[in-house]
Amino acid sequence: MNAAPLDSAQPVFEEDQARADVYALIARLFYAGPDAHLLAAVAGAGAIAGSDETTPMAAAWRALGTAAAATDAQAAQEEYDHVFVGTGKAEITPYASHYLAESMQERVLVRLRETLTEMGLAKTGSATEYEDHLSGLCEVMRHLIFFGSGDVAVQKQKSFFLEYLDSWDAVFCAAVMASPNTNFYKHVAVFTKAFLDVERSSFQLI
Amino acid sequence: MSQGQTKLSRRNFLFAVGAGGAASAAAIVAKTVPQVQPAATADDKKKTRGYQTSAHIRNYYRTTKV
Repeated sequence: MNAAPLDSAQPVFEEDQARADVYALIARLFYAGPDAHLLAAVAGAGAIAGSDETTPMAAAWRALGTAAAATDAQAAQEEYDHVFVGTGKAEITPYASHYLAESMQERVLVRLRETLTEMGLAKTGSATEYEDHLSGLCEVMRHLIFFGSGDVAVQKQKSFFLEYLDSWDAVFCAAVMASPNTNFYKHVAVFTKAFLDVERSSFQLI
Repeated sequence: MSQGQTKLSRRNFLFAVGAGGAASAAAIVAKTVPQVQPAATADDKKKTRGYQTSAHIRNYYRTTKV
């Protein structure tokens, strides 16, 4: 069988590279609590140089940087473990199927695995998380962005986004913002929502 | 032509909201992630070609020929 080839001949525009980087960061932050090195990098990354610095995403990025500077890595990791892992049932689960299953009347995870197989992707043997983890979905988006900035590639990103990320991301982020047990992750959630809102809007333009 | 204009407006939108300009900021952060664990091997890069893997991605997904 043939996996869809990665067409590296297609250029990736600057803004799409930036999107891939943001997806990578969001994936990392929701996969595990940040270490001191990552917190320092976020704190020192500087402002987003958009044409309008008052946009929600630019503001959220500034706030995240400030929070990262004021956050101790151990505290952030404990916060992550407490809220997203927990003992027994996690307070807030980062898995799409938890949010999508009832409304879609279909097993999201089964369909997602089929989609990933078509893309030539599979979970590593060492990963214990299911494929519908927010971080996994963000990594797939990042992967799709590297197919280039052509129309077909962007449409594939749009399809995957609408099917597996759209709508539940807002519910998830709202829960993280509202939790009495989050502090640093409130800022992560605000930034994540601001970015995914940008994604949502940009996909409506094509 | 209309398709070209649509693409242009999407690009303009991304730049206007700051997503395009996030390159310098987020890239710095993204680059720091692989340093947490050993970098992807040359073999990994060969398999995935244009897909730049981080340690985290390797830990999570593997690009395979089906």
